[in-house]
Amino acid sequence: MKLIEGNIDKNYIVESIDGGCMAKDRLWKLGIIPGVVIKIKRRAPLKGPLMLEVNGSDVVIGRGIASRINIKEIE
Amino acid sequence: MKTIALVGQPNCGKSTLFNQLAGYKSLSANFPGATVEYTKGQTYIGEEIAEVIDLPGTYSLSWYDDAEKETVRALFSEHIDVIVNILDASTLVRSIELTIELMSLEKPLVVALNMMDEAVRKGIYINAKKLEDILGVKVVPIVAKKGKGIKDLLEAIKTAKKPLKRCVYSKEVEKYINKLKECIEKNGLSGEWPPKLMAIKAIEGFEPCMEPLENSTCKASLNEARYALRDGLVIVQERHALCMDIFEKVAVVKKKEKKSLETILDSILLHSLFGYISMFLIFFSIFYAVFHGGVPIENLIIGIFDKIDASLTSALAHNKLILAIIRGVVDGVGAAFGIAFPYLLPFLFLISLLEDVGYLPRIGFLLDSTMHKMGLHGTSIIPFVSGYGCSVPAIMTTRILKSRKEKIISAFLASLVPCSARTTVIMGLVGYFIGYGYAILLYGINIIVIMISGMILKKLLPGISPEMALDIPPYRLPTIKTLLLKTWHKVKDFIFLAVPMLIAGSVVLTLITYYNLDGIINGVFKPFMALIGLPSSIAVVLIFGILKKELTLLMLYQALGLSSLSQIPKVLTHEQMFVFTIFVIFYIPCIATMAAIKKEVGLKATIYITAGTFVLATVLALIFKVLLYSVWI
Ligand SMILES: Nc1nc2c(ncn2[C@@H]2O[C@H](COP(=O)(O)OP(=O)(O)O)[C@@H](O)[C@H]2O)c(=O)[nH]1
Repeated sequence: MKLIEGNIDKNYIVESIDGGCMAKDRLWKLGIIPGVVIKIKRRAPLKGPLMLEVNGSDVVIGRGIASRINIKEIE
Repeated sequence: MKTIALVGQPNCGKSTLFNQLAGYKSLSANFPGATVEYTKGQTYIGEEIAEVIDLPGTYSLSWYDDAEKETVRALFSEHIDVIVNILDASTLVRSIELTIELMSLEKPLVVALNMMDEAVRKGIYINAKKLEDILGVKVVPIVAKKGKGIKDLLEAIKTAKKPLKRCVYSKEVEKYINKLKECIEKNGLSGEWPPKLMAIKAIEGFEPCMEPLENSTCKASLNEARYALRDGLVIVQERHALCMDIFEKVAVVKKKEKKSLETILDSILLHSLFGYISMFLIFFSIFYAVFHGGVPIENLIIGIFDKIDASLTSALAHNKLILAIIRGVVDGVGAAFGIAFPYLLPFLFLISLLEDVGYLPRIGFLLDSTMHKMGLHGTSIIPFVSGYGCSVPAIMTTRILKSRKEKIISAFLASLVPCSARTTVIMGLVGYFIGYGYAILLYGINIIVIMISGMILKKLLPGISPEMALDIPPYRLPTIKTLLLKTWHKVKDFIFLAVPMLIAGSVVLTLITYYNLDGIINGVFKPFMALIGLPSSIAVVLIFGILKKELTLLMLYQALGLSSLSQIPKVLTHEQMFVFTIFVIFYIPCIATMAAIKKEVGLKATIYITAGTFVLATVLALIFKVLLYSVWI
């Protein structure tokens, strides 16, 4: 599942980041690393960016980037 | 003199610390050949004076935008004697990642562990001594906002040493890194990079580090390492685990963090409906405050300068040329003060407040999708909105933007937003004589033109606009001292920059009047004025408007040979007034704005922007001329 398809207020595990993602390095630095648990907090209207909770901090990423991040639901 | 560089991730409190160290005497400078700006100042370390430079915040040494790139470049340069790495103690895990990278630069390094108070509030207790032992770098806990720990920090800077340890990865990982590093060293491919750091970044897939290895003998080792380490993911995960491990060793987390107030604020300010309403209200109040406070102050300043003008006129009545020049100088200074104190100062103060409280990135979240269509990020709304007040602070706020492309687009578009001076023309001419509905129509047309121009510029300009990827800081109360200092730096910039231009401009204009060159100017521009359907006698008005836009209205009736504004409809038709106003809204930014644009994006871009606005204004004037004459009854 792609991050962009995730539900609000749910926790997911980051599985992988697609190749060719310009922001990969930045995502790693923001703590979005495969294996890490993230929570989708809210989406901005009008196809705006997503706000995530990573490691206790809030992180905002654009939709394009979010459609290149693969996630897995936590049972 | 020693040079000390402050480095840290965004929102770690870097500029607060800088202002504690360097104070009001600091100034901002541009990196050579870049639109990115940093601040430098001086501080005493013991008896010795040292230079402190405040580099733009960066998450790591692999950059994502122009500002981060300049920071990394500056760090590589020889000039820096001591690096002070500021960490946000409340987000320690992420912050240490940068520290680990900085250690590999092998320069004297000190860690300033900032926001100790906030960490405690979140229930995180950090043992700085333990952290120091693990990292092998001096760690000084501080609270920059309250000035706590600054003395110890200065002491540590004085005796700063190169890091004792290095980050070590697991044996398997180190094997690949070292193999590539040796190859890079042997072939002298590393350039400014420390070879090991370059090897790591190349394996992680950071373009600028991979590229030099592309056609070299090291290509094979790189491919091998990238394959074995899953495109660097293994390194990233190990480093993350290492940071988590350090955190667990040095910190005790007592109670569950409680962020109730922040959650409530965010649920309103980031709400899909209330978020936009609150944003509107916040900007509206800022405008209201600046305008209602600003206009009387501006009138006061104008009054003072008018008095000076009057007494000069009587004192120098016998020598008209000298009078003309001196009056030009006085008017130029008056114009600068008339912008700087009533508008610039309060405006920049309030914008700095929004920035330091942590509201700006949240606006970015709300508006990103709309602004992205114009090649911009959500935060670019600030230059636009500020533009309705005065273009100068609006242009100066493009400083908060990261990429050059974004800055140029924003500077161009912000200069098209009708400032208060142009509002006088819109209201005083179109509003008063044709009807207020038409004035509002003009604002609508303006917004549409700006959006279309933005979309075109996005396509036209080289470079990509990276998507948003940043962390949203918690809400924080800034200190008045930092805010005032930040505002002061910017106002000082403006004064140094715009005063000479305003003086020069106004001297030229008084000389035009003195030598009666109006006729010649009008003659030269006659064909152009005929093209857009306006009387040639107002060409000179448009020239004066470049000094101050409100002059286009104030001088209009004189230029038309009338005795008062109310007679304008006798000479100009409604169509002409409309076209004239359209032209005035868009054509050439005023001198002070040009100075600000030059400061932010450089001379060449300023020339393009100025030429662009002129072409745009002419095209629009033509379109509306044709349109109005065919539909207006
Ligand atoms: N609680 C707390 N807040 C701080 C401290 N240092 C800075 N701040 C606040 O953090 C916010 C961001 O600081 P700033 O210096 O602008 O961060 P920069 O983006 O790294 O330059 C401001 O509102 C500061 O007042 C500190 O030690 N403790």
